[in-house]
Amino acid sequence: MSFQRLLSAAGGLLGLALAGLLVVPLFALAMSTSERDLVAGIAHPMFLPALFLSLKTTLISLGLTIMMGTPLAWWLASSPSRLTKPIETLIELPIVIPPAVLGVALLQTFGRQGLLGEVLWEAGVAVPFTSKAVIIVQIVVSSPFFIQAATNSFRKVDPDTLIVARTLGSSAISAFFRVVLPVSLPGVTAGVSLAWARALGEFGATLLFAGNMPGETQTMPLAIFYALESDLRLAVVFSLVLVGVAGIILAGLKSLPPLARAFTWGQP
Amino acid sequence: MQTKLVWPCLFPLAIAFSVILSGCVQPSADQNIKTELLVYAASSLTEPFTEIEGAFEKANPEVDVRMVFAGSQALRLQIEQGAPADIFASANQAHMDELIRGRHIKKSRYFASNELALIVPNNNPAGVETLADLASTSLLVLGSDNVPVGAYTEQLLDRAELGLGEGFKARVQGQAVSFENNVRLVRSKVEMGEANAAIVYLTEAMSPKLKIVPMPGNLRVHIRYPVGALVGSGQPLWARRFITYLLSARGKQLLSEHLFQVSQ
Repeated sequence: MSFQRLLSAAGGLLGLALAGLLVVPLFALAMSTSERDLVAGIAHPMFLPALFLSLKTTLISLGLTIMMGTPLAWWLASSPSRLTKPIETLIELPIVIPPAVLGVALLQTFGRQGLLGEVLWEAGVAVPFTSKAVIIVQIVVSSPFFIQAATNSFRKVDPDTLIVARTLGSSAISAFFRVVLPVSLPGVTAGVSLAWARALGEFGATLLFAGNMPGETQTMPLAIFYALESDLRLAVVFSLVLVGVAGIILAGLKSLPPLARAFTWGQP
Repeated sequence: MQTKLVWPCLFPLAIAFSVILSGCVQPSADQNIKTELLVYAASSLTEPFTEIEGAFEKANPEVDVRMVFAGSQALRLQIEQGAPADIFASANQAHMDELIRGRHIKKSRYFASNELALIVPNNNPAGVETLADLASTSLLVLGSDNVPVGAYTEQLLDRAELGLGEGFKARVQGQAVSFENNVRLVRSKVEMGEANAAIVYLTEAMSPKLKIVPMPGNLRVHIRYPVGALVGSGQPLWARRFITYLLSARGKQLLSEHLFQVSQ
């Protein structure tokens, strides 16, 4: 009994230490700035274009991730095919690859002399150094998180409920939206927020594949990196705003499943 | 049932954990104690300084020189934040001056100089033949104005306006698709064939994948590298000796092998 109490005390302490490690640096960041720095940072010409570009590109990449990732995750979760396991592993690999290497890999794919790039170039489509490159990087680094979370929560859906819905005359698509999605919504939303957060913070691959051009490819993390070279206070302010915006959106996403549940339960 | 399965799995973990911990506790106890000299150097100095490190250690076996390479401004920031450097070698005087003003360094000396070069990929896809062509070259990559290579590039373009007409600098900058944060990032974009042209240090231009486009001699920008010992260094004597070595005939030879210019 007392051993168990010791164990739970140790666990609590370890957990507290980790929570501290995650939160204290943010607190230190906030402490190191002043109101005047904050105003000056927000008024800086680099700030608004970078924030706007970050929000725009991450929303587009998130939309594309959800659109393309949901059917893929559903297939991974429900198909009896033996291919699902190796494909699932392959899809998760970008999580492991260092972003800078991913940037080089993307250049070798979409670059002028890249695998697909040569054809694209002939067709007049240039990807590197454009907002398109930023979005592609974000999809590559963030969608594995979404696919993983969505696949796992789709797997928890009882296949019988689907069969029931189908026998009651529901089409496959409507069964997915009315039966599968409501049940798996918490997991899917967790995947959405994780993917979005990863895309918002993406830096290394963007730096190589998209370059740094204000208004075109300079997202918040790149702006922070460049500010860091000239003015530390500016970089701190930019980071704080990024953390604040991300905090608001993530908190909003977390409150989404209960809201949605209330909404779907309201339906007959 | 559960515990039977869990405990055997935990043993290797526990062993791995203790190995990692013991590695953290005693890193240098096994070797005979060497004096450690920490040199912070601009990333453009990577090749010659790596060789100088080897040569200096050979001549002074009791010293272990460790090099940290990064952009001069990043190194300056780290030093201002209390990094334990003994020596700082910068790619421009501005960052050195800031550290002198902050009393991190007493005085600095120039030990090498460099110049700018216009580079294109080997196959020169945009057919850049002169500096003037840059005003009409797409996919141009330049250094950002807050890093040394970018600041020097601005000087070059300012000077070029005297011959190529007002607005040349703005036209060239308008062609840029990216402003990179250090000279290596600039070079890599051309090496990978993604950029049509870029301006880097001459010492960075020696790559089989790159071609140098000659620029008029009157546009030459003099880039001088200062070095200084940190006031807070625990090894002031060795720091001084390293700087003396850098300025010696052997140091100059190693620098000039990598195309840095040294005073004779």
